[in-house]
Amino acid sequence: MVGSRRWPEHLDAVVEEFQACFDAMERYELLFSYAKRHPSPLPQEEWDDDNQVHGCQSRAHVICSVDENGGFLLRGGADAQIVQGLMAVTAIAVNGMGPADVAGMEPDYAEEMGIRSSLTPSRANGFLNMFKRVTEEAALLL
Amino acid sequence: MTLDIEAIRADFPILARTLPNGKRLVYFDNAATSQKPQCVIDAMSEYYEHYNSNAHRANHTLADEATTALEGARNRISSYFGTSPDQMIYTSGATEAINLAAYAWARENLSEGDVVVLTEMEHHADIVPWQQMSIDKGIEVRYVPIDTESFTLDMNAFEVAIEGASLVCVVHTSNVLGVRNPIEKIIEMSHATGARVLIDCAQGAPHERIDFDSLGADFVAISAHKMAGPTGIGCLLVRVDAMAEMGPFMTGGSMIKRVSTEGSTFQEGHAMFETGTPRLAEAIGWGAAVEWLDQFDMSEVHEHINDIASWTASRMREIPGIRIYGDPEREDSSGAVSFLHEDIQSQDLALLLDEGGFAVRTGHHCAQPLMDALGVPSTNRASFWIYNTMGEAESFVQYLKEIIDRFA
Repeated sequence: MVGSRRWPEHLDAVVEEFQACFDAMERYELLFSYAKRHPSPLPQEEWDDDNQVHGCQSRAHVICSVDENGGFLLRGGADAQIVQGLMAVTAIAVNGMGPADVAGMEPDYAEEMGIRSSLTPSRANGFLNMFKRVTEEAALLL
Repeated sequence: MTLDIEAIRADFPILARTLPNGKRLVYFDNAATSQKPQCVIDAMSEYYEHYNSNAHRANHTLADEATTALEGARNRISSYFGTSPDQMIYTSGATEAINLAAYAWARENLSEGDVVVLTEMEHHADIVPWQQMSIDKGIEVRYVPIDTESFTLDMNAFEVAIEGASLVCVVHTSNVLGVRNPIEKIIEMSHATGARVLIDCAQGAPHERIDFDSLGADFVAISAHKMAGPTGIGCLLVRVDAMAEMGPFMTGGSMIKRVSTEGSTFQEGHAMFETGTPRLAEAIGWGAAVEWLDQFDMSEVHEHINDIASWTASRMREIPGIRIYGDPEREDSSGAVSFLHEDIQSQDLALLLDEGGFAVRTGHHCAQPLMDALGVPSTNRASFWIYNTMGEAESFVQYLKEIIDRFA
């Protein structure tokens, strides 16, 4: 974690990349590009009711586990590229961290990235529901 | 009279606002809710500022003024819908109106094996109450399919479905497809078989003048907030003979004649179904809204909206990858244009449109059986109303093209 920010230091470069974008549309383009570069994607064949993140307007699925080194592993997929992109950034953040650190994370990095729509309180919001599911599953892995 | 759209827009202060990113609002989510003219906002404020009081049963000036305003709004609204105030029951909106028909009429009059006919085009508000009634009372629910090529009801299947039915419930205008159903024919056919008819006019009332008495339906459900009125108010219009068959739904204050420890007796007519403190400010606001709408010829309003929807749909059809669900070019279609792009997921597209200032809706639109019939989980929907302009539609199509060029 960095200062008062509750995300891992290695995410700073990603956050800065988004902050350097000219406008919101450029940020969305970058997010679409992260969606295609998800470090631990969950193929659509593995999407099922158990791993579905409910309450999303889009379809989003996550499987959380601990790898052989004891680090957190977030595998995820969504049909909406904006949710998938935020999921990819989240995977970059949390993969390899201890589950306790993941459980204590806050989603403020998305706001710092300038993805305004990611943090609206709409009940259809995909990202926040996905993030909540990840932190809850991390707590269960403790 | 020709509509003066700029003068109409001036009545809606919200249309002048900008979004946090500096973009001017272009509001194309009117099938979800319309914006409110200043006169509605003023009427509600005036009630709270000058004569806020509970209605009925009091002997002070404010209560008299509040009661007069509440009942004056009922007179104005029922008159707008071509009927008398005794055939109008205030509800919280169309959803509660349909639930009222289910719990106050169907529960009293239907029994196991009786048939209620719905269509695949219905909003959840006109599906779930009947499914619950099926669980509670054992009624049979039949669904009339849609033709997924023409996006219209399969009227041959309808004719078969209504045989032996006790109640037929059909949406006037689809909130997803913008399709206006042949409700006059539906009412005639249903009555010929002896069924009562409920028409969900939540989407129809903002687009054409609903004349309840000449329409002939037994029940009509309406929401105020889609026709310039406030949220939280609507009505069930009920024919007198059908109302006589209804029993109490919500019970408590206001709807009783006498309560003792031995039991209760109830008011008659609409008063039996308006339980508790009325939604005074909302009813007064709705009264102001119908007074505002009454200055226009609704056929001109419909033509204006249909022109925009028709033009928008025809231009969108030229964009590679766009598919439109419905037939907005039809003269009787409402202002809803539902669409999907083959590469850009609907929620992504809505968020990208929002960045340009365009408010459209995304999702299943509370019509999942229709989504199932169409074979899609959701659509984007641009829906237009009286204050939208062709210029807004042109900028929308242009921006949509730019998004697709950039993100598809």
